[in-house]
Amino acid sequence: MMTARKQQGILLILPALVVMGVFTVYPLLEGIRIAFTNKHFLKEGVEFVGLQNFIRLMSDEIFWISLYHSVTLTVVVVFLQFLFGLILAWAMTQNLPGMSWFKSIIMASWVIPVAATVIMFKFMAQPDIGLINIVFKTMGFEELNRYWLGDPEVALAFIMLLHLWRNVPFYGVAFLAAMQAIPKSYYEAAEIDGAGAWHRFWYITLPGIRNMVIVMVTIHVLWTFNNFDFVYLATGGGPVNATDVLPVYVYRQCWNSYTIGYGASIGTVMLLLLMLYFIVFIKLSERDDIS
Amino acid sequence: MSKARHKIGVAISAYTIVLISMAFFILPLLWIIYCSFRTQASIFTGKVIAPLHEFTLENYTTILSVTDYPTYFMNSFKIATVVSLLALIFSIAGAYGLSRFKIKGKNAIILGIFSTQMFPQVLLIIPMYLIVFSLQMLDTVIGVVLGQLILVLPFSIWMLKGYFDNIPVDIDDSARIDGCNIFQRLLYIILPLGAPGIMVAGFFSFVVSWGDYLIVSVISQSQRTATATLVIQRLSSALLIRWGQVAAAAVLTIVPTIILFSFVQKRLVEGLTAGAVKE
Repeated sequence: MMTARKQQGILLILPALVVMGVFTVYPLLEGIRIAFTNKHFLKEGVEFVGLQNFIRLMSDEIFWISLYHSVTLTVVVVFLQFLFGLILAWAMTQNLPGMSWFKSIIMASWVIPVAATVIMFKFMAQPDIGLINIVFKTMGFEELNRYWLGDPEVALAFIMLLHLWRNVPFYGVAFLAAMQAIPKSYYEAAEIDGAGAWHRFWYITLPGIRNMVIVMVTIHVLWTFNNFDFVYLATGGGPVNATDVLPVYVYRQCWNSYTIGYGASIGTVMLLLLMLYFIVFIKLSERDDIS
Repeated sequence: MSKARHKIGVAISAYTIVLISMAFFILPLLWIIYCSFRTQASIFTGKVIAPLHEFTLENYTTILSVTDYPTYFMNSFKIATVVSLLALIFSIAGAYGLSRFKIKGKNAIILGIFSTQMFPQVLLIIPMYLIVFSLQMLDTVIGVVLGQLILVLPFSIWMLKGYFDNIPVDIDDSARIDGCNIFQRLLYIILPLGAPGIMVAGFFSFVVSWGDYLIVSVISQSQRTATATLVIQRLSSALLIRWGQVAAAAVLTIVPTIILFSFVQKRLVEGLTAGAVKE
């Protein structure tokens, strides 16, 4: 009876595992294998070249710039999303008129296609006719007029803004859900003990939403670091590499220059970095669980 | 007295946050909708308020009747529908198995599914292109669907497992004692009680597929499978951009996601975060 149940469970999960095996695990291993070859889309014949691609990476300036941008973007964006998400969640816990209506529409930015988001912001960033420049002009800052995604100084910051636009509401409602699952009695008890608002937030709210914070931050570190669409659609990595990130560099190497061996080696480095993050993160959360 | 003052302070702060959020998160959407009804000349005046005669439906009629946009829109629709249906079948079965049955190495499987989230998609897409090519499925709906399926499966299994875990096991157990087999239990207990979560998982798969650019850009080769997201990108990177038309096409591409969103909106957060909030 028990063995029959075990087999039933395996049979249920098997189809999904097969699909993921064929289209995720195999491509991953194959991708890593290609990283050690000189595979080129338009040239016949593939040779194993050992570490040659990785040695080339070490002296590839654009690789280092992209790595720097990817790490900066991920750290800044995830931190700000966490912070603003927390503030938004706090506001939404207040039972005020109109709040439930606000909660119901605020996630809209998360569901629309990234390509459409990018168009909206590209449009608003246009010189002279874009809303951002119109607003600055009416406020008297006419000298700020520029194409915001075309200025190397601000383009990366502008792309961070797009990430925030899409994800902060998701953080907000997720943290809100976690906050509402904290028993009211904890707060009542703390109030009787005379704990201030700050104290209650620090000792009840934050520990209460700890799991949600861990899940949201982990998954968004992975998603943001691997994100391709925002930069590729908004700037393609330009102007002059000012917004280049690793996924976009991999894509250009593979589908514009057709040097897929080299592209795959950059992808493999991305994977190694994320695995490192994942392992450190699991170790840290396990240690916290015991204490 | 001080308590009342404190309450007013909290209300003012909360409303300030709400106002700033509305301006930041909703205004860009309203602005592009507004400009999609303006003529090119009107947009180029650089004014916020346009006189009535500068408004037009021409952007929409051009996009819908002169360009090929409707074909791409239908492609998006076909692909996203198939992706969500397949994703639901695979992930309901998988989540049901993981949630209700003893499986050897279950935790390893769950961790394995979760860890696929760290695989760079730009790396996976290289061999995926070669697989789809050797299956002679390049530029076919099924080729795009297979590629997109791996974008949504891990998260929707994880999400549904969390959701099913919150359905009391006692209900299953008593049904089993009454002689229900696993498919009957799935059909009469998990599906109805898990319906809100299943709706959210289906919605999630639909919008991810609808919004995907990476996979379509590699696997699609022609009008046969190109999707709306691919085309609005092309329109917006033309040499001379007709902003009114770009706005109209973007709005048309946004509309289906917003309509579906309005159906699941109440359940969305609960469903998305079911894996992280355990009662």
